Amino acid sequence: MSFQRINPPMQFAAAAPAPARNAGLPEDDEAALGDSTRWFIDDAGVRLAESVFALQGMYCAACSGVIEAALQALPGVMRVEVNAASRRAQVRWNPSQVRLSQMIAAVEAAGYRALPAQHEALRVALQREARQALWRLFVAGFCMMQVMMLVTPAYVAAPGEIAPDLEALLRWAAWVLSLPVLLFSAGPFFTGAWHALRRRRMGMDVPVALGIAITFIAGTAVTFDPSGPFGREVYLDSMTMFITFLLAGRWLESRARARSTEALDELLQRMPDSVERIDDDGRGETVLASRLRVGDRVRVALGQAFPGDGELVAGNTQVDEAMLSGESRPVERGVGEAVVGGTVNVGMPVLVRLSCVGEGTRYRQIVDLVQRALAERPQMLRTADRLAGPFLWGVLVMAALAAAVWSVIDPSRALWVAVSVLIVTCPCALSLAAPAALLSAAGALARRGVLVQRLDALETLARTDTACLDKTGTLTQDRLVLAHIGIHEGASRGVMLSRAASLAALSRHPLSRALTQALPAPQGVWCAVREVAGQGIQARDTQGRLWQLGSPAWVGVQASAGRPIVAFAQVAGRPEDVAIFEFDEALRADAGQALQQLHAQGVEVRLLSGDSQASVDVVARRLNISQAQGAATPEGKLAALGALQAEGHCVLMVGDGVNDGPVLARADVSFALAHGSALAQQRSDFIVLGSRLAEVPATRALAQRTVSVMRQNLLWALLYNAACVPLALAGLLPPWAAGAGMAVSSLVVVLNALRLSR
Amino acid sequence: MESLYLLLPLSVLLVLALIGVFGWAVNAGQFDDLEREGWRVLEEDRGNTAGAACAPFDPDQA
Amino acid sequence: MTQSIPALAAPVYSDRVVRNFALASVLWGVVGMLVGVVIAAQLTWPELNFGISWFSYGRLRPLHTNAVIFAFGGCALFASSYYVVQRTCQVSLFAEKLAMFTFWGWQAVIVAAAISLPMGYTQGKEYAELEWPIDILITIVWVAYAVVFFGTIGIRKVRHIYVANWFFGAYILAIALLHIVNSAAIPAGFMKSYSAYAGVQDAMVQWWYGHNAVGFLLTAGFLGMMYYFIPKQAERPVYSYRLSIVHFWALIFTYMWAGPHHLHYTALPDWAQSVGMVFSLVLLAPSWGGMINGVMTLSGAWHKLRDDPILKFLIVALSFYGMATFEGPMMSVKTVNALSHYTDWTIGHVHAGALGWVGLISMGTLYYLVPRMFGQTRMYSVRAIELHFWIATVGIVLYIAAMWIAGVMQGLMWRAVNPDGTLVYSFVESVKATFPFYVVRLVGGLLYLSGMLIMSWNVVKTALNGRMVSAPIPSAVMA
Repeated sequence: MSFQRINPPMQFAAAAPAPARNAGLPEDDEAALGDSTRWFIDDAGVRLAESVFALQGMYCAACSGVIEAALQALPGVMRVEVNAASRRAQVRWNPSQVRLSQMIAAVEAAGYRALPAQHEALRVALQREARQALWRLFVAGFCMMQVMMLVTPAYVAAPGEIAPDLEALLRWAAWVLSLPVLLFSAGPFFTGAWHALRRRRMGMDVPVALGIAITFIAGTAVTFDPSGPFGREVYLDSMTMFITFLLAGRWLESRARARSTEALDELLQRMPDSVERIDDDGRGETVLASRLRVGDRVRVALGQAFPGDGELVAGNTQVDEAMLSGESRPVERGVGEAVVGGTVNVGMPVLVRLSCVGEGTRYRQIVDLVQRALAERPQMLRTADRLAGPFLWGVLVMAALAAAVWSVIDPSRALWVAVSVLIVTCPCALSLAAPAALLSAAGALARRGVLVQRLDALETLARTDTACLDKTGTLTQDRLVLAHIGIHEGASRGVMLSRAASLAALSRHPLSRALTQALPAPQGVWCAVREVAGQGIQARDTQGRLWQLGSPAWVGVQASAGRPIVAFAQVAGRPEDVAIFEFDEALRADAGQALQQLHAQGVEVRLLSGDSQASVDVVARRLNISQAQGAATPEGKLAALGALQAEGHCVLMVGDGVNDGPVLARADVSFALAHGSALAQQRSDFIVLGSRLAEVPATRALAQRTVSVMRQNLLWALLYNAACVPLALAGLLPPWAAGAGMAVSSLVVVLNALRLSR
Repeated sequence: MESLYLLLPLSVLLVLALIGVFGWAVNAGQFDDLEREGWRVLEEDRGNTAGAACAPFDPDQA
Repeated sequence: MTQSIPALAAPVYSDRVVRNFALASVLWGVVGMLVGVVIAAQLTWPELNFGISWFSYGRLRPLHTNAVIFAFGGCALFASSYYVVQRTCQVSLFAEKLAMFTFWGWQAVIVAAAISLPMGYTQGKEYAELEWPIDILITIVWVAYAVVFFGTIGIRKVRHIYVANWFFGAYILAIALLHIVNSAAIPAGFMKSYSAYAGVQDAMVQWWYGHNAVGFLLTAGFLGMMYYFIPKQAERPVYSYRLSIVHFWALIFTYMWAGPHHLHYTALPDWAQSVGMVFSLVLLAPSWGGMINGVMTLSGAWHKLRDDPILKFLIVALSFYGMATFEGPMMSVKTVNALSHYTDWTIGHVHAGALGWVGLISMGTLYYLVPRMFGQTRMYSVRAIELHFWIATVGIVLYIAAMWIAGVMQGLMWRAVNPDGTLVYSFVESVKATFPFYVVRLVGGLLYLSGMLIMSWNVVKTALNGRMVSAPIPSAVMA
């Protein structure tokens, strides 16, 4: 803990900078808006722009109208459409009549924020995919209903009751309506199966595609040649029905995935839109961030994010590097030191020479990592996938055997018996067993504010027996709380405290700020104020006495180590004129409760921190943690984790900082807290949005329920097959019954899984 | 039931047309922002101001 | 798209045609219900036929059905679809003159019906009695209607097409298809034709038309009305907009096959009857989904029902819709149908839907529309609306209760057999037994008609007290 010098407000080399040349978008800056804007010429020859803005602060679907009205009121804005679900505004505007900054200002005046949307291409691609999936599902469901209507006469009529050509007409109509389902809706199954087979693996799509194909062939044969070997059975209704069910399952899965993508959307929209660039004469010009070049000097105002990596040229300031480290306590940066793009300037305006912009910045790298994570598909069903291969072979063999045996006993039944075997064993229940449970659990978690990034982590979480937690920011709230005041009996307590508070108010150091917040009304007038870097602040009071507030060593006071201490004393004064302030880190309100719940679940809790062993011990004692390791470097943390895993433990890790990144990736299951660094979030399996630690044991409990539901579902699927396959082999299960059985079993699985969403 | 020779092909064509209509609708973004559209018919009365009518927005609401 | 006139007035909606249709709907409502009262009286006291051919029951009945469905209901649908499509698309009607043509054309159809039906010109097909020249006129008007409606959607300023417009669009297209197919006929004189279909084939096509007319005109069309005017009157959005979309598509794909339930135990093949039965039952689900969606729109604002009689009309209409869409599937079950077919229970069912659902929702909608057509926000007398509501509701209850009892009684009487296999009752005995219920039904109908007369008075006063104002289109952007 050291004090550093805080300079008075800096001056630029030149005189006060000239006012920015234009507050908006210069006409030749169109390329700068990037992929958020499309430029075109309309029929009248006017050059127009169509932009997409990301909106923030929208809580209300009805608020869309407010934003639309605010933008519509600007002359030059021709059309506005706000989509509340995706929080985007699509605006058609005339650049010769209105400026980007005016539009952004209009939205801010209405109470929201608008930024040119980033990663539009990705979002649009995901949206297109979602729409296709919905269309496929609709086609499958709609045609399923129609096909069912068309085959109902065949079921209800007595043989011979329907004229043969009318029967043929009904069959043909059903066949025609099955085509869109086969060719369009079932497309993903066939392409998935093809890809799997090309890689010589047995994915879930293979048995599904095979079942669909064989049923369609059988159905087609019946349509073309009703007196043929497939008999008079109907197959097409079963086929459309199970395609619909399978697609419904997939659609639910993709919607759950889309929801967690949206929640991370805000993270991606965080770049500054316009920045003041200072040219060599010291004049400022506002440009869009994407127009900056290496070597540009930019003036970064208070509260603004750095537009790129760079070096401080003028001014010393504090920087909030929460994006990188999770530490909300600002760090000092002086002239010549490096700053990172995306971190926030919280001290005073500075001049930065950019060394890296756009693609190369650390910020961009982080965003790319997160973006890749969003586009990644979770790998699901490891257990079920392993079973699929042998299961499929078994089913094929059985169907072939059945056909062979029946072709001897009663040839007219041989083929439909084989088809029934294939349909009834259709792995719908099997392929839905795990995803239905996982998705249901993910939905329940999302409602509670826990984002699931990797669904199969739920299975692993149920098995964990050890939890490693970081200290700073995870168990603690990353602010200091005044724990103890030590004042000499001879001194006046009130006077000392108010004096200390007034001196502390003159310093912006975090400890000073914590002191100011904790102490009562400051009283005192000081002059000749001087802050000494690394030590503290000193000043003379109205009677000319010199007082010091700072580290005990500098002030010349004895104090024990272990927690942050600030001493306040008069230089060369009486012993009574001394005060000692001891600080504790504030623990999260629910930390104790969360750890208790973990203990109750049988999980062993350990503390792994990079902070000093002394401060780690303090926290460990307060929270009753027996195993606490401090002063751990990222490599040290990894080693500790590795040792635990080597002993056979299944470890879950909870962290937030960038130095937790490697450990979070290596642990069996990882949780990141929402306020934490982007890197921590990208590498972890779960993100706790409210930073509520109690969600960790709660999620683990849900994970265990999920695993048990998955097992129930798999068991059900197996029992159902064990019961129905013999029936099908014996020729007692016509295809319509096989289809109905398959539908019912899928429904049972889904309903069972829905219990988890409570 | 000769009338069915008319009614059945007619309904098949109708179904194919309806699938096409739905496909147009979904790809034109008709189903993208459903909750908001339910509110839109009331916006002209409220003069596009949300005011006290602002309710917490749940993107998953059915 | 610049215009040579320098100073342009703000664009306004084309509400003149809406006003015309709204007023016409009220007028034809009175006429149609009056004819209904007349024929109800004639059934009760056949002497009231007076031996006059053009006043006889057989000729007046189709006049009643056509007047209430196509004149009263039709004009209400025209008015509301033109009103809603403009406001949800924020644009005035495409081809306004064509819209006006649909008004005059439709009135011509109605007048032609009012003249030709009592004169005895009929094709003999239920809800499709009008002879071939009038059928052609209907087709022309309907094509114009489709052009106006879909054209307006085509030039819309709001990208999203509100759910009500889907219902209206479906009803317009469906009626076009149904009308053309079912009315296919071979002319044999100026007002004489023979159906293109024969025998039981004709029956199948007729009831494919008949039930889909109920489904698309009387249901989908009025659901479109419901999905706009309930949110507007209640000042709350539809309970679940997503559900309304699902409701639409589910209704569309189930309705087509319910027709055969009109032909149970007839020459229609058994398997066709069974298909009709199964899918009529399936229809229950989407219908009730829509009803719940509409009623729950008031969730959190039930107190508004106490003070707002227009909301009473709209919400109670939905309750009758729910009732009728439950009763219908029940009656389509063959066993139940064996009792109910040809009895007055069928009439009770029709009128629960017609008086309860179609009538009340139209009245609620007209009470919303009419003041706005004359520059006001409320009708001349809100208390008269309240009075109308209660009179109408009592009338409906009397009507359907009488018909239920009569119907079940008739069914039981007709199937009562002696041990030796002979019928217990002769037909005329069942007719005699029905008499008191016909009286009650007449009273119910009279009440309903009185309610309509109160409405006409209220509408006239509102019109006289106001003036037609043009409603501006909000935030119109001059391109």
